[in-house]
Amino acid sequence: MQNKINKGWYLLFTAPLFIIFLTVVVIPFVIGIYYSFFKWDGIAANPKVFVGFDNFIKLFGDTRFLESTWKTTLFTILAVISVNIVGLVFALLVTSKLRTSNAARTMVFMPYLIGGLILGYIWQFIFLDVFTLIGEVTGLENVFFNWLIDMDFALYALVFVFTWQMAGYIMIIYIAGIHSIPNDVMEASMIDGASWWQRLKNITFPLLMPAFTISLFLTLSSAFKIYDVNLSLTGGGPANSTEMFAMNIYNEIFGYGNYGYGQAKAIIFFLIVAAITLTQVYITKKREVEL
Amino acid sequence: MKFQKRTWSSLFIIALLLLLSACSGSDEGSTGKENNGDSDEASTQKITIFQSKVEISDQLEALAKEYTTETGVEVEVWGTTGDDYFEQLQIRLNSDQGPSIFSLQNVTEAEKMKSYVADLSSEEYAKDIAPGMELKVDDQIVGVPYGVEGFGLVYNKDLVKPEDVADYKSFVSTLEKLKAEDITGLGLSKEAYFLIGHISNYPFSLQSDHYEFIDNLTSGDVTMAKTKEFQEFGKFMEAIKANTPSPLDVTYDKEVGDFAAGKSAMIHQGNWAYGMLADFDVDFEVGMLPFPLNGTDKLAVGVGNNWAVNGKKDEAETKAAKDFLNWMFTSETGHRYIVEEFGFVPALTTIEANDLDPLSQDVLNASNSGQTIPWAQNYYPANIVPNDFAPKAEEFFLSKDMTGEEFIENLDDAWKNAVK
Repeated sequence: MQNKINKGWYLLFTAPLFIIFLTVVVIPFVIGIYYSFFKWDGIAANPKVFVGFDNFIKLFGDTRFLESTWKTTLFTILAVISVNIVGLVFALLVTSKLRTSNAARTMVFMPYLIGGLILGYIWQFIFLDVFTLIGEVTGLENVFFNWLIDMDFALYALVFVFTWQMAGYIMIIYIAGIHSIPNDVMEASMIDGASWWQRLKNITFPLLMPAFTISLFLTLSSAFKIYDVNLSLTGGGPANSTEMFAMNIYNEIFGYGNYGYGQAKAIIFFLIVAAITLTQVYITKKREVEL
Repeated sequence: MKFQKRTWSSLFIIALLLLLSACSGSDEGSTGKENNGDSDEASTQKITIFQSKVEISDQLEALAKEYTTETGVEVEVWGTTGDDYFEQLQIRLNSDQGPSIFSLQNVTEAEKMKSYVADLSSEEYAKDIAPGMELKVDDQIVGVPYGVEGFGLVYNKDLVKPEDVADYKSFVSTLEKLKAEDITGLGLSKEAYFLIGHISNYPFSLQSDHYEFIDNLTSGDVTMAKTKEFQEFGKFMEAIKANTPSPLDVTYDKEVGDFAAGKSAMIHQGNWAYGMLADFDVDFEVGMLPFPLNGTDKLAVGVGNNWAVNGKKDEAETKAAKDFLNWMFTSETGHRYIVEEFGFVPALTTIEANDLDPLSQDVLNASNSGQTIPWAQNYYPANIVPNDFAPKAEEFFLSKDMTGEEFIENLDDAWKNAVK
């Protein structure tokens, strides 16, 4: 009896959410799949031509798209590594007996509260004016120049800014993970004479695995889907060298007006993101240990 | 048990219904209001304007206010950042929230929006549009030009004389001379149209029939790399790259700002840049010179933007929109705004233009004396400039050793990609 009533309440409260999810996620998604089989320029009054799987086949010969896939992969790998390392280091720092740890926490977390678009414009200014100024003053013009107009460095600039934005957020997750490690285990190891590194390697890291799972998942998926920072920082340039997945799709749909083809790209994009993140969660989940 | 199940499922359905009816209820409310407005009288009619020229947003809003006080028709002007205007327009039209008046840049865009644009051929002012300047689709006038515009080398009369940039040789030696004096010879900026869009016009415009040339280019019968004008253009671009700082670091604001501060002697811009120059209070005389490709002495003059009316709106709104345009093109206030506030060189023969700024005056002089070449860019494939030309131009300016010849070959590739 009680059980039934609970179920009813569940239904009642999930209904609105369910409807919203249905109308803004599921239905557009299904329509999107439908469009991906058509050649259409996106204007309601113009005809849609059914082309079957042609859009998907065309993808494999599209060098700009393949280039963008490669750049996105490279970006994601670099971003995931740097965000997690920086986040973890910060987390270890602010959980140690640092006097300014609370202020440090707040400051590191701050960039996450700034929207990606604004962040991109701020950093555009930093790269353009501050970097070139530092370069001129110190004479290190090989490192400090406007990264955004170099085809290789523009991608690193993107990684840099993304790390700056995400690291604080990831740090919070690691902090929570570190706090949840029971003190008695730590104390026992200290009494046994374990060094700082041994404690880190044999106790902290294994017990942090759930936090790793979440952090890797978050960084992987958000790095793969990056758009706002990409748009405001580099705009895909110079010469399309930092055109990430999402931007490539946007440009295909709105720049070239190929709605159907762009949709096909979006579907592939979805499959890739889903496959990678699910695999990652599966692997790291297996490594999690329970006390 | 059974009873419970039914209660809960019915409760669930009631919740659903409530939610749905709440949504549709508010919808009805708003449409109801609109209908009232329509049947009432024209005074509560509302029209919306969405246009891509950011420079005139404030002035257009002021004009809209004057119209409202004069006729009672409410005019709402939507903002745009300019860059993604056409995409925004498309999205809004697709979701049935399109504006009543919008702007179209050229015939390629008009063709795309064919099902939306209203026929303006029978409007009072249609016959006054300067010959050849109207926007036509299927022999119907669907767009009225904002004004005619021209671009070329905007130059500082203290630093450059017209004979300094009369042909390739003098152009290059002028750039070199200015470089030695630590002055930027010719400023470009990183926005797609200012980087390559406008400047790429010249080799096209100098063809005897640029429409035919572009059609041939699209069908693959000719290539840019094998056309004389383009080879020359490549040499010009090489000279610009060699003698001026990279434009990829420069925004439009900085480009004009540097010019106003005397740090650059020339910029490749159009008469629209004067608005900003006026803000800077420049203390030297400025003028506009033709870009001397093949030694030409003609300015590139054309129509950058056209007013179009959304014919898919209900009749009352379409009519109100047409009335607004009619008022703008026939009333004194409208004329004053077009010339003085917007700073346009009028494209309607009935509008008199006195006291034009020096750049617009140069454009008007060129246009009156027929010393003009057309804007071939109006016939480019849609969006080719930001999509395909700009990345190639960025590549060109980034790599030290890419020659002008290679650059033109890249533009050929870009063209192929855009029309495939």
